[in-house]
Amino acid sequence: MFARVLAALLVSTTVLAGCGGSAGDSDPGTLKLWHYESPDSAMGIAWNAAIAKFEATHPGVKVQFEEKGFEQVQKTAPMVLNSNEAPDLLEYNKGNATTGLLSRQGLLADLTEQAVARGWDKRLSAGIQTTARYDERGVMGSGKWFGVPNYAEYVTVYYNEDAFAARGLAVPTTLAEFTAAMDAFVAAGTTPLAVGGAEYPAQQILYQLALSKADRDWVDRYQRYTGDVDFHDEAWTYGATTFAEWVAKGYVGPESSGMKAEDMGVAFIQGKYPIMVSGTWWRGRLQSGIKDFQWGSFPWPGSRMGIGSSGNLWVVPEGSRNKELAYDFIDITLSQEIQDKLRDAGGVPVAPGGSQPTDPAVRTLIDEFDTLVANDGLAYYPDWPAPGFYAVFVSATQKLITGGATPDQVLDEVAKPYAENRATLGG
Amino acid sequence: MATTARRRRDPAPHLVLWGLVALAAVMLVPFAIIVLNALKSPADYATSGPLSLPDEVHAQGIVDFWQRVDFGSKLLNSFVIAGSVAVLAVVVSVLNAYALGIGRIRGRLWVLTLFLIANTLPQEALVYPLYHLFKQVDLYDTRLGVIIVFTIVQAAFGTYLLASTLSGFPREVLEAARVDGANRWQVLVRIVVPISRPTLGVLFVFFFIWTWNEFLIPLVLLISDENQTVPVALGILQGQRMMDATTTSASALLGVLPAVVFFLFFQRTLTRGMTVGAVR
Amino acid sequence: MSVATAVDRPSPAKPTPSPPRRRPGRGQGTYLLFLLPGAVLLLAVVLVPFAMNVGISFTRWSGVGDPRWIGLENYRRLFADAAFWASFRHNVGLLVAMAVLPTAAGLLVAAALFDVVGKRFGPRAAGVLRACVYLPQVLPIAVAGIVWSWILAPRGGALNAFLDAVGLGSLARDWLGDPDIALYSVMGVLAWIQLGYPVVVFMAGMQRIDPVLHEAAELDGASWFGRFWHVTVPQIRPEAFVVLLTCSIAALKVFGPIYVLTGGGPGGATTVPSYSSFQNFFEKTQVGYGAAIATVLTVLVLVLTTAFLRVQNRGEER
Repeated sequence: MFARVLAALLVSTTVLAGCGGSAGDSDPGTLKLWHYESPDSAMGIAWNAAIAKFEATHPGVKVQFEEKGFEQVQKTAPMVLNSNEAPDLLEYNKGNATTGLLSRQGLLADLTEQAVARGWDKRLSAGIQTTARYDERGVMGSGKWFGVPNYAEYVTVYYNEDAFAARGLAVPTTLAEFTAAMDAFVAAGTTPLAVGGAEYPAQQILYQLALSKADRDWVDRYQRYTGDVDFHDEAWTYGATTFAEWVAKGYVGPESSGMKAEDMGVAFIQGKYPIMVSGTWWRGRLQSGIKDFQWGSFPWPGSRMGIGSSGNLWVVPEGSRNKELAYDFIDITLSQEIQDKLRDAGGVPVAPGGSQPTDPAVRTLIDEFDTLVANDGLAYYPDWPAPGFYAVFVSATQKLITGGATPDQVLDEVAKPYAENRATLGG
Repeated sequence: MATTARRRRDPAPHLVLWGLVALAAVMLVPFAIIVLNALKSPADYATSGPLSLPDEVHAQGIVDFWQRVDFGSKLLNSFVIAGSVAVLAVVVSVLNAYALGIGRIRGRLWVLTLFLIANTLPQEALVYPLYHLFKQVDLYDTRLGVIIVFTIVQAAFGTYLLASTLSGFPREVLEAARVDGANRWQVLVRIVVPISRPTLGVLFVFFFIWTWNEFLIPLVLLISDENQTVPVALGILQGQRMMDATTTSASALLGVLPAVVFFLFFQRTLTRGMTVGAVR
Repeated sequence: MSVATAVDRPSPAKPTPSPPRRRPGRGQGTYLLFLLPGAVLLLAVVLVPFAMNVGISFTRWSGVGDPRWIGLENYRRLFADAAFWASFRHNVGLLVAMAVLPTAAGLLVAAALFDVVGKRFGPRAAGVLRACVYLPQVLPIAVAGIVWSWILAPRGGALNAFLDAVGLGSLARDWLGDPDIALYSVMGVLAWIQLGYPVVVFMAGMQRIDPVLHEAAELDGASWFGRFWHVTVPQIRPEAFVVLLTCSIAALKVFGPIYVLTGGGPGGATTVPSYSSFQNFFEKTQVGYGAAIATVLTVLVLVLTTAFLRVQNRGEER
């Protein structure tokens, strides 16, 4: 039987494999679209609506949507865009190492003309536009448009209202009140901060601490290479030493060094920690997951600059054969209708919406973000300036949590790859 | 060394059995946790964490994932690729090992070393060159391309294992066959293959399962949805900053089940040799 | 099996019985013919790409556009990278966890399953137990990573909860987050993954052993362990070599399990050289430098492989 099964397998499989030819075809009646947001996320919901609207306004055109894995797009985008298999439109990560790199290689269509003609440059605020434009070195912030964001994100402080109320704590409006609240939790034997030290959350706290001593110029020098960066300046030193201090004071528990972001979120949802500093991408999860207590959020107290940026971008491959359709689709995602849909699903819209949000929590979210934008306070993410910087920051903050290195040593560790990357910029 | 023969009924075999049962139980703990979470609702997971028993059996995660990624077609792709590779790689391994282990051709150590490069080379180093080569011969984004890659990668291991076991092959048996007038092909097919059958069965099972679980090369070389494999489809759930743990468990269960079923099915092939004893 | 079905068909090369007067070394040609399909595939899928990889390693390249030739610059940088070479020390632990331990334990488990369970309690029991031990090999590594981080979590993880429950709460640790322990935890998970592979290979090898050898030894009054050591082990020597070498190769280039369990952390406590290669290829988009690392790793592993094969070959010719 073994032999027969195998023989049958061989025959059937080679036949099947033979007919699996490559589908590099592209006809004008199809818009091939890729993104990697899950269908129940705010973006997934809004973009599904956009697809429906697109098909309604473009009779005879079908949207051929493929949901991709984040990792697949990250690893293979340069190869795919350089082949016949490229989609007409795809979601891609913002930043120098991703969209910037592809734009420099001529793999992405220049959207400047469309942005002006369709008024995208008016609808999106300056802070949001930063991630949409790239110069000839592939550095964000100026030059041509290569991507269009249609949602935004920022880091806020989520807190357990019940736990705060039980200790008689008010929502902190200054850093001193914030630390006083955390002291109260430590005194009661509770570690206040849920931190995923093995992934992005720890470095965002460190960066946010540094930002409280920073301004726009500091951020631009660091993120857009507009001037010198000194990792031992006041802001960075304050960020690293304060982070270490918070570990010493017990605000950050030793167990967080091995925790991933997912563990952090689940622990907060389970009420094991009263505070979690993280991004708006958690909102949907918290909303559906937290059952046993009231929760809310407040902006990081006492800082004009905050972590945040546009969301990922729509980019159009240079090889796309349906560029006009792709532009139309982008335009639809920026329309008021879709922006409101995104907002109501828990996302942060980028273009001013028409109606007022009904949900007060959504309102807070939008207000917080508007304040940040009005202050010109979007400071992006700490790992953006150099490719592979993320892992360096994870390792550095882990050492602060485990006491494996001093703040000074950690800053040196971060400074080295940053300097190396700056030296090779544009090369 | 020689002592008195002990033929008493001693408790040792039972101790060994229970020791192995305990080991097996420990090996299975993580699988139990996967099943636990695959059948849990996301809300239940969020409030009670990954290690509690589900409040109620929630199979929706499995159904949702199946529909979201069109799991049936991914299963078929994985099966086609892993099945073809398993068969072809066994064939190539046998042919190679026959020349190296029985033929003992000159310089066979060097040939073997060359083949083992397929194992020593990190896969990420293959990605860019294969992409460029395959684009030129229209194998990029085809299942056939991936089958070709893994056939040789797996056959490198098979060649080594088989050549090693075949080099101890009793020469008298081969000589006897030759005296009977069998040519080399007949010796291979009538004598070497039947005797190596337990090892070939192992290779077949290994190749299938290893190929089934391959991630990086299918991720890079199989771009369109209609060619994707099961592990690549699992990757969809790992967002940029989000992981959906219950759906991941559900999908893991779906992804592992076919390979487990396959293994259990061919387990009989592996066991048969044991009952029949040596084919000689 | 497809090869086996060929028995029934007339063989393509009809036996034209050539006179059996062959000098030693003659007739290699026909054996080389058997090598042909494998060799062609090897050339196309492995050797040419490997050569291309070596070529890329002399360039600066981001993966798209034209690579820029920079000669030996990448290698100069690599040989000066102390952190890269220091991370090799973690491979020592991984060699133990992925090669030494599974081979030794695998031998014992396989012999116990084959000799004791298979013979006393029936092949079915042995088969079921073997399947259980092998199952971790079937699990995709990404999923294994998620499940093990649940088990090893410092708060509410299954392992610490278990230790608490049996009154050993003082042994509870932050298994993946404590830099002094993380490597050992990773080693434990790797051993768990790896064990099934040698067990299955060794059990298949044991089927080749002539039962007469065991019977003779038993008549001589050899104990179970005596027979294991003097009959079983020497007989499955080829398999032992293969398992040891392939596991060692895997241990030297291991990356996936570490990536999903600790990402090389905490603070670099579990990082390995192959992680640098992967990072440069896909995270830093320094493909040229990544190719240089891959080339050096391949050459190092190949040197070890060659040495190992020589030792094995000498053993076979004895």
